[in-house]
Amino acid sequence: MAARKTPEKTLGESLRDHGLSRRGFLKFCAATTSMMALPPSLAPAIAAALETAKRPSVIWLSFQECTGCTESLTRSHAPTLEDLILDFISLDYHHTLQAAAGEAAEEARLQAMEANKGEYLVIVDGSIPGPDANPGFSTVAGHSNYQTLMETVEHAAAVIAVGTCAAFGGIPQAKPNPTGAMSVMDLVKDKPVVNVSGCPPIPMVITGVLAHYLVFGRLPELDSYGRPLAFYGQSIHDRCYRRPFYDRGLFAESFDDEGAKLGWCLYRLGCKGPSTYNACATMKWNDGTSWPIESGHPCLGCSEPSFWDAGGFYEPLSVPLTLRPETLLQAGAVGAVVGGGLAALARKKVKDAAGTRQPVTVEELEQKL
Amino acid sequence: MSELTLERGLAAFRAEIDAPTAAFFSSCVHCGICAQSCPFYLETGDPKYTPILKLEPLRLIWENEFTLLGKLKGLLGLQRKVTDAMLAEWEELLYDSCSMCGRCSMVCPVGNDLAYMIRKSREGMVQSGHAPEGLISASVRAIKTGSPMGLQWKTLAVQIKHVEDSTGLKVPVDQVGADYLVMLSSMEVINFPEYLEAITKIFDHAGVTWTLSTQCFEATNAGIQIGNKDIAAQLVERVVAAAETLKAPNVISPECGHAFTAIRWEGPNLIGRAYPFRVFHIIEVLEELRVAGRIKTEGKEMDRLSLHDPCNLARKSGVIQQQRNLMDLVADNFVDLKEHGKYQWCCGAGGGVSSNERAEPLKMAAFKRKKAQIEEVAPERMVTMCATCRTQLEEGLEEFNMDIPVVGLTEMIADHLVEKETGS
Repeated sequence: MAARKTPEKTLGESLRDHGLSRRGFLKFCAATTSMMALPPSLAPAIAAALETAKRPSVIWLSFQECTGCTESLTRSHAPTLEDLILDFISLDYHHTLQAAAGEAAEEARLQAMEANKGEYLVIVDGSIPGPDANPGFSTVAGHSNYQTLMETVEHAAAVIAVGTCAAFGGIPQAKPNPTGAMSVMDLVKDKPVVNVSGCPPIPMVITGVLAHYLVFGRLPELDSYGRPLAFYGQSIHDRCYRRPFYDRGLFAESFDDEGAKLGWCLYRLGCKGPSTYNACATMKWNDGTSWPIESGHPCLGCSEPSFWDAGGFYEPLSVPLTLRPETLLQAGAVGAVVGGGLAALARKKVKDAAGTRQPVTVEELEQKL
Repeated sequence: MSELTLERGLAAFRAEIDAPTAAFFSSCVHCGICAQSCPFYLETGDPKYTPILKLEPLRLIWENEFTLLGKLKGLLGLQRKVTDAMLAEWEELLYDSCSMCGRCSMVCPVGNDLAYMIRKSREGMVQSGHAPEGLISASVRAIKTGSPMGLQWKTLAVQIKHVEDSTGLKVPVDQVGADYLVMLSSMEVINFPEYLEAITKIFDHAGVTWTLSTQCFEATNAGIQIGNKDIAAQLVERVVAAAETLKAPNVISPECGHAFTAIRWEGPNLIGRAYPFRVFHIIEVLEELRVAGRIKTEGKEMDRLSLHDPCNLARKSGVIQQQRNLMDLVADNFVDLKEHGKYQWCCGAGGGVSSNERAEPLKMAAFKRKKAQIEEVAPERMVTMCATCRTQLEEGLEEFNMDIPVVGLTEMIADHLVEKETGS
């Protein structure tokens, strides 16, 4: 079996072979541009770059995971985008999607690594039992996840950690972390690592990062958690369509009260929107149909590190005062009276000082000469 | 016989604490930007010249006597008291190293008006007997003789004679009902008599009726500089009385910057009533005349000129565009200093610093900031409109061997007036 080489066809050619019209291609480029928060003027540049880009070889490694991330990517109801992305890349190894099995499958991975040394991308979903953990906790083809990961990333161009498990340890790492689970960035220190967190991540975010890499030949700008700023730059709260209710102090207090029915803010029902950075509020799910808060459920904060251990999902982030408006008014009134009294005392002191003030005379000044 | 004591000083500090002062001290965030705006700090590099530190006596009084925390500290015996020794130490900080130029007030990110509080602190310093000797002498002379330099009308009369001889024009004196009562500063009478000559020519040219007053010719105010409202009020009263005697509807302040602040802004508050007249700086009057088309000029200065804005006029009073319009009238090659207008840098001599001989080295140090600004645009001459600034610029440029003459804007306008046709 010949080594699998990155196909020589450019993306443009490959897409036309698949019957994609020029118009459809440009529409995709425009969508990608806006999705990555780039100026619209870049759309033609992206089109030109994608047209001539060679499809990179991608090796997808699945470790301690639930396959939800893959489901997210494949079950997307945005057929144009995600089908295109599968054509954009040469997906040379993926447990769930590849036809080969057993030794042939592992052979495919090794061949892809050999043929595209230094240029292939590694996508990881799932966390990894660390080097100190029992290697038997999770194995593929007789190798521990840790071995497979380190072997595969050695000659990779970059690593993309898809999903919160790969990015931050996720649910396997939740207390008490029985398998000693670690994230990709805990283990891979000498390669660029991009974290596409979320449980699962939004499909368009996965494809967006790949598109960015194809167009610009480098990884996108990242935040302090290694997540692409274009998608994780703003909090759910800041982009939430229920935000006006928060600003006016209108909260749903239970899931079936009048506030919930009227679509008020879910903060007091435990919404983690204010501390969660992701693009759900703008890109939504299922081809833009809806998203958790729109369907009436508080955000769980799944794209943040340790989200599973960050207190109860239904406990509000913090509610400093559960005072009634009347109480607040009364407190304000008492404060005003006390403050007014103190101010009056201070004024009296100044007045007394001014009242007993002796004017300065020339004679007094002369004594000082 | 009564004397100035610490107790009187502390009472004066206490009496000066008002709502703005309390708000300013509570909102100070200790960012230190005021230091970066102060020529005295920047040119010496000594942190004790940080503007907010200069206010420490006033701040301590406020904290000890007007705040809960201060009172608690008092109960525990932890208060730092304002002592005579402290005020003696602060005399240099409040007088020698501050020209009350107000640049710190301008840049303070929380909007604290530091210059306002320096002015207040000086009230306490005077009452406690900690004002500099130079300013005390100037105040005594101002009250006793009518001029901080001890100048009398007869000196001015000699200058009037010179002006009349050289211009062939009459200098009006004690003219009841004239539109403008012109006030002078002693400095202008002695050092810059060309100012009087210039306004004589300009007002004749523009057909403005004006007068000097033998009752009061001096409107500089040593009381404002030393920081005592009793002295300041007496000096303002004299100007008001002279204007009332001559029924003048308008009073022109001397070019001197702090005199303008005194008569224009502080005056009515000091005497406790509104003026029966309006107060202008000569630059404002000239600009009004220019706009009305009453000043006709010919020819222009061709050398490279730059402008020094006096702090009191520009930053504190907002007279900024006027002098530039006037410059355009008579200058062909005018270039502004990089930071000018309300963000200009002080010459270093204002606020009583120039009357305080002891402060001479600091005054020259502060001037280095102005010098650097001047070097940046390399003008052939500097133009200004304040006698104190002008003296400082001249002295400073000479000190650093920079051959840049300093001229007054009013004189420059007068030099370019279209000559009247003889016989008309």
